[in-house]
Amino acid sequence: MSRAGQGVVLRGVGKRFGDVVALEPMDLEVRPGELMVLVGPSGCGKSTLLRLIAGLEAPTSGEVWIGGRRVDDVEPGARDVAMVFQSYALYPHMTVARNLGFGLRVRGTPHPELERRVAETAGALGLGDLLERKPGQLSGGQRQRVALGRAMVRDPGVFLFDEPLSNLDAELRLRTRDEIAALHRRLGTTMIFVTHDQVEALSLGERVAVMDRGRLQQVGTPDEVYRRPHNLFVAGFVGSPPINRIPLSRDDGGRLAGGPFALAGPAGPDRATLAVRPEDLAVATPGEADGDASGGEADSSTVSGSRDAGGSTPTQASGSAYSGDFRATVLRVEALGSEQRVHLDGPGDAAWVARASPALRVASGDRVSVSVDWERSHLFGPDGRRQEGVSRPAEQGVSR
Amino acid sequence: MVSGVRQPVLDSLAAVVLAAGLALVLVVAAGRLESARVGAAETEARMAAALWEQEGGGADAVAGLLGERATITGADAGGAGPGPGAYAYEAGALEPAVRIAVTPPPADGPRGALPVTAIAIALAGLMVVTGWVLARRRGPTRTRYPVGIAFFSLGCMGLTAVAAGRWADGELRSLSAGTAAQGARAVEIALATGAGPDGAARVAQLPWAQDPSLDSPTEQWTMPAAVAAAIAASPERGARTASTTLSAMPERDVETVAPPSPTAQDASAGTPTIAPHTVEADGATWHVARTADIHVAFLGYERTASPALALAAAGGLAGLLVVLVLHLVQLASRPRALRRTLAAWGLLTPAAALILAFTLGPLLFSLWISLHEWRLIDPAPLFLGFDNYAALLRDREWWSAIGNTALFTLHVPVAMAIALALAILTRGSRRALRWARLALFLPGITSVAAIAVVWKWLLSDQYGLANRGLERAGLGSVPWLTSPDTALASLMIIGIWMVAGYQMVVFQAGLAAIPRDWYDAARVDGAGSWQRFRHITLPGLRHTLFFVLVTSIIGSFQVFGLVYVMTEGGPLGATDVAVYHIYREAWEFLQFGNAAAMSWLLFAVVFAATWLHFRFLDARRAHG
Repeated sequence: MSRAGQGVVLRGVGKRFGDVVALEPMDLEVRPGELMVLVGPSGCGKSTLLRLIAGLEAPTSGEVWIGGRRVDDVEPGARDVAMVFQSYALYPHMTVARNLGFGLRVRGTPHPELERRVAETAGALGLGDLLERKPGQLSGGQRQRVALGRAMVRDPGVFLFDEPLSNLDAELRLRTRDEIAALHRRLGTTMIFVTHDQVEALSLGERVAVMDRGRLQQVGTPDEVYRRPHNLFVAGFVGSPPINRIPLSRDDGGRLAGGPFALAGPAGPDRATLAVRPEDLAVATPGEADGDASGGEADSSTVSGSRDAGGSTPTQASGSAYSGDFRATVLRVEALGSEQRVHLDGPGDAAWVARASPALRVASGDRVSVSVDWERSHLFGPDGRRQEGVSRPAEQGVSR
Repeated sequence: MVSGVRQPVLDSLAAVVLAAGLALVLVVAAGRLESARVGAAETEARMAAALWEQEGGGADAVAGLLGERATITGADAGGAGPGPGAYAYEAGALEPAVRIAVTPPPADGPRGALPVTAIAIALAGLMVVTGWVLARRRGPTRTRYPVGIAFFSLGCMGLTAVAAGRWADGELRSLSAGTAAQGARAVEIALATGAGPDGAARVAQLPWAQDPSLDSPTEQWTMPAAVAAAIAASPERGARTASTTLSAMPERDVETVAPPSPTAQDASAGTPTIAPHTVEADGATWHVARTADIHVAFLGYERTASPALALAAAGGLAGLLVVLVLHLVQLASRPRALRRTLAAWGLLTPAAALILAFTLGPLLFSLWISLHEWRLIDPAPLFLGFDNYAALLRDREWWSAIGNTALFTLHVPVAMAIALALAILTRGSRRALRWARLALFLPGITSVAAIAVVWKWLLSDQYGLANRGLERAGLGSVPWLTSPDTALASLMIIGIWMVAGYQMVVFQAGLAAIPRDWYDAARVDGAGSWQRFRHITLPGLRHTLFFVLVTSIIGSFQVFGLVYVMTEGGPLGATDVAVYHIYREAWEFLQFGNAAAMSWLLFAVVFAATWLHFRFLDARRAHG
């Protein structure tokens, strides 16, 4: 049942509907046996891309290659692909068995073989008892399995999934996600999976293609996409809670400044955006900061770019050494058990969220000092592109 | 508090409604009887008119038959008043034309005027209920439902209805006998004034009024053999008549005997030779008399509409009202519930009244008609039971009409196939397609009469566009509507043209409801366009197809306008479809009873077809 997967190559593939550009011409290669996830907000063109691969839409430009064969003019049924739809698209008037066997039947597969393969697939998915039911008599999860089985039974070179989990409840969605991952490991077939859920994308994909407004924004492993987003969109789209940002602009001293920060930015653009993931912020209460000052992440970058006017607080008045990049007031704390999310009213006009260990004791209204992990922070130019290696605070002694 | 005020009011309402119901029952019985009286007067007036026109007849003969009850005036005399309820009949196509007004026969004795027993029962029941109301006013028992009084009221209503029915039946019977006797006398007078036996028998103006030996070309006047046999066997025949006279009397004997001499006429005038009596034959009661040598047997009013049906209806209605009021009485202890019930009934009443008046009422009326022989003008339609239906089963023309209808209905599947093809071809939002859809839909919203007139012209043999076109093309002309072989087919083609557009629109709605994902999935599964049509489109349209099929078949069974305007059922009955047949039966032949029976049979056929379809559909759905 397991065949070597087919590679999928798109060369300059674009799609317009009349005047509306659904997909800008793009190149994408899915390696044989790979599980590639297309992710993006709704309307980004990911489903259109999938339908182009399936052959349900014809590209306006470019070439589609599957398994080393150019398939632009090949009917969907002859492309060696199978597709699982968001609505499952089960034929309501056919039993589960006939739904599973439909693809084989219209191809004229001999009856005994058809029976055998349907039984095999049903057995693999635990649908054996449901074969004589109709889709209307199945639960959502069961329907999902039938849809999966209908794709599996034909033993295609490429599986296409169009948001197959979005109609399931949260628990079932997690379980099915694992099952699809397991299925991929077992079959070793190429799978292209479309979702709008970045968590699903990161957890499932071997590689992830992030799309927005008909453009491919970044293709890479989940770690690459998360750690080194190519642009501001990817940085913002991937990750939950979303990445914190603050706009910067060049000041008189040539630094990129915004809120409490003043960075020694690279020469070039006058504007930029600083982006820091919530887990790359260290929150400390000023009292603790003294204790932690000797080590730990809270003072991993001890040099302060802070222009925070925190002098009014008593702790500050005590004159103890102050560490941290900025100060802020806690607006709200989400205690999620394994972590806390601390909503801050800073830096500057921005409202950032920090991820903290459950051990941290803060409550809304507390004044805290926050340190930024500059190694992991990102700077994006005015065009949204990533600016490499520049997210460093400018050396300066100003603390007021 | 509130209930304290309302309860007595409602209690009194119960008594009032009961009284109204009882009165209704009595009025219905009396009214029914009164109309039978008028009917009798009418028959007598027609007898008198026939006598008047008889050779040697005239005022004397009329007076001999009806005495004081007949008033003869000139035809132009206008409103010279006969008694109340009199039936006036104009006689004399010859001069001088006269009006013979006949007052209804008097009621039979003092009890005949009033249904005494029924009234007594009604009064007694009313007194009991009134007593109950008064008792409740003193010490209201709020929670107990007045089941007892409800049953009592219903029982009282039923008893009154039965008593009134018996009274009316008895009166009808004696009226019947009296009219039959009058018929016999009229025959006798006619014979006495010199009419032949054939003409004399006709004077009686009653159905089936003759000796079988006097076979006349009009079957209506021939006595059924079973009746003749029953008369022969009846003891009242009396010793004076030999059995041979009746059963085997040859016609010429009658003729030799029948014209009596003037002296014999005087001697026997006014007295039937044997006293009128009744025999049972053919499932009915016949009033038999013998005058001179002619036996006459008349069907009495027993077979006309018995008041029983009307009484049952009136009693049922009144009973319902009583139960309703008593229900309200019970609710009176719970003011909120009472208010809601009253409000609900208030809101329901207009709609219910409309349905009752314009749907349910006519429906039941047509059912009633189908059980009678009714010609729209008869004051007392003849009750036939299921005879109309039984006759229909043997009616070849009716079955041929049903067969034509069934044939015509074969256009439905063809139209559906065409409509489905059109629906698929004209999908889309392009301007040309929208216009095409509109053009195809137009016939469905155009008046049938207009369509029929235009097509009649198009298909006309000599001047029609169709035949001119065919001739131009060098092909022979086709007798579209003038040959029994082609007329129905022509109508079917027009039928297809008329319904296909409408069906197409319905199919398009059905197609739009099929999710695109199914087609996509099928394409990815490798299904070609035929397989997608076969496995996705057809099953997806299943309910739409069924809906269109059933409604189109029903519509096709009701086809009328096309036939009425284009072929009038012809040629040679080739396009005589069921509804047109019914129409002619009712409005051309005035056989409303038959027509109503046909309508109900047609309804039964359509209903059975629909029901079978639904069963079939359900079964498929259940078994997958």
